[in-house]
Amino acid sequence: MDGEEVSKVEGETRRRRKGKGKERGENPARNRQQNNFLPSSSLSGCQIRTEVSKARWVEEIGMAQVIEKNGSLWATTGVIRNGNLYCHIEEIGYLAQIGALVLLDDGENVMGLKDIFTKCADRRYGCTWEFFEAYRDLKSLGFIVGRHGQPWSLKHDNLKPNSNFTVDTDFIADRIEELQIGAANLIFDIYKPNSKFKKTDPGAPSFIICLVGDWPPIRKEVEYLEEKCKLVPLKFCHVNHGDVRFFSFPEVSLPVLP
Amino acid sequence: MELSGPRWKGKNFAQIANSNPMSKIIAQLQVCLSNSESAALPIGTDFLLETVPELTKLLNRTSFGRQLTTSYDSKQYFQLSPEETFYLHHFLKCLKVSIDNAKLIDVNDLWNFMRSRSELFPIYYRAYVHLRSKNWIVKLGTKNGVDYVVYRHHPALVHSEYAVIVDRENDKGEKEGKRMRIWSDLHCAVRACNGVAKAVLLLNVMGYEVNFSLPELLERTIVDERQITRWVPSQCRDDCKLEGNKGEHH
Repeated sequence: MDGEEVSKVEGETRRRRKGKGKERGENPARNRQQNNFLPSSSLSGCQIRTEVSKARWVEEIGMAQVIEKNGSLWATTGVIRNGNLYCHIEEIGYLAQIGALVLLDDGENVMGLKDIFTKCADRRYGCTWEFFEAYRDLKSLGFIVGRHGQPWSLKHDNLKPNSNFTVDTDFIADRIEELQIGAANLIFDIYKPNSKFKKTDPGAPSFIICLVGDWPPIRKEVEYLEEKCKLVPLKFCHVNHGDVRFFSFPEVSLPVLP
Repeated sequence: MELSGPRWKGKNFAQIANSNPMSKIIAQLQVCLSNSESAALPIGTDFLLETVPELTKLLNRTSFGRQLTTSYDSKQYFQLSPEETFYLHHFLKCLKVSIDNAKLIDVNDLWNFMRSRSELFPIYYRAYVHLRSKNWIVKLGTKNGVDYVVYRHHPALVHSEYAVIVDRENDKGEKEGKRMRIWSDLHCAVRACNGVAKAVLLLNVMGYEVNFSLPELLERTIVDERQITRWVPSQCRDDCKLEGNKGEHH
């Protein structure tokens, strides 16, 4: 069989599996979409929620403090500092978009999605729009996503004495230097969906995500980044106008055959 | 995509391959070709070799060249690519080559001849040697939009597992080749090859310099092997089971 025949057989198998014995056209959701010319949903889970949390934006640290915590999502979202729960702008953006979080400014005003999305793209808070899109893509699929190298939980005695948030602002400043346009940046530590995940003891991530800019990474860059990740598998993410794709470039060694 | 191993085309084909190691068949080809009077001649950008049935059978079994169908019985004709010709002449030391139809050419002259016709010949030859010397069958990958496709044994027994793209960098680690330069190059290669169950293998010839001699090409360059794999998070398989997440089970 040559390549074309293989492809045909595989296509037939895929179509057979998709059908699963159902008649075509018996998919009500798809029919609704097609009849009303609706676009397919960019985000699953955008429904009215009963468990809505509240957070207040704190400009000095570029994060929001969670003031009303509702729902089990906080087991795998947000970071703990001095016993308080804070979240990064990409987490706020995702939770606000799915209606699970209301963000207040330093008064009692609710910040709308336009302001939140603008902050995601702002770059002052360690995030870019592409960074946020990658975060949203992975988070909505159930992965546990944290900023690369940032602890999920820090106790009081780990902080520097004079300022509550020196550690965090340092992290944010580091991140801003790193997120150069066009360069490759290690951005997320990813954990597989896990009901036993503990912020106080997360363990090693399942893999690390590197956000790559306009050009695919060259071999030297891949090797350099792999070394930085040590033994944790590395995946490269490219975001192109909302389309989020991942690649990996594992070293292989074709065996010597008999 | 994760490859689950070689895809044999028939039930006992893996055993047939195991019982007929390619290295042994190639050794038989070497003997037969060394004893043959026939010399390869340039034809277009390739080389033409006139063969007799015993040699024809061995060239087919080792998958070198393409046999040209003719109505003749006593003689057969093969068209060999530059890499195949040079590999048989230089690496396996068994093929005679004649450029001007009179005297036979030696390896240095043939090297210069190949280089004069294609600036990139050394890069492709280096990649070809890398693959063939591990006893993989190497065929042109034009159909799949790549440089080569490689097979674990004869293409009649097994599907090819890798679609190979050849790239290069200089001794400072700077990319010099024009492959995989922009994202759509990667998307395109992966999509085309995964659709026919092949993994994309990027062979990077490292450390090459234009003025290298033939021995320097083989001794001073390294071939780096990396797969280009697309990861689709919503279709995680064994390395990432999604537990308790609605609707996204594999």
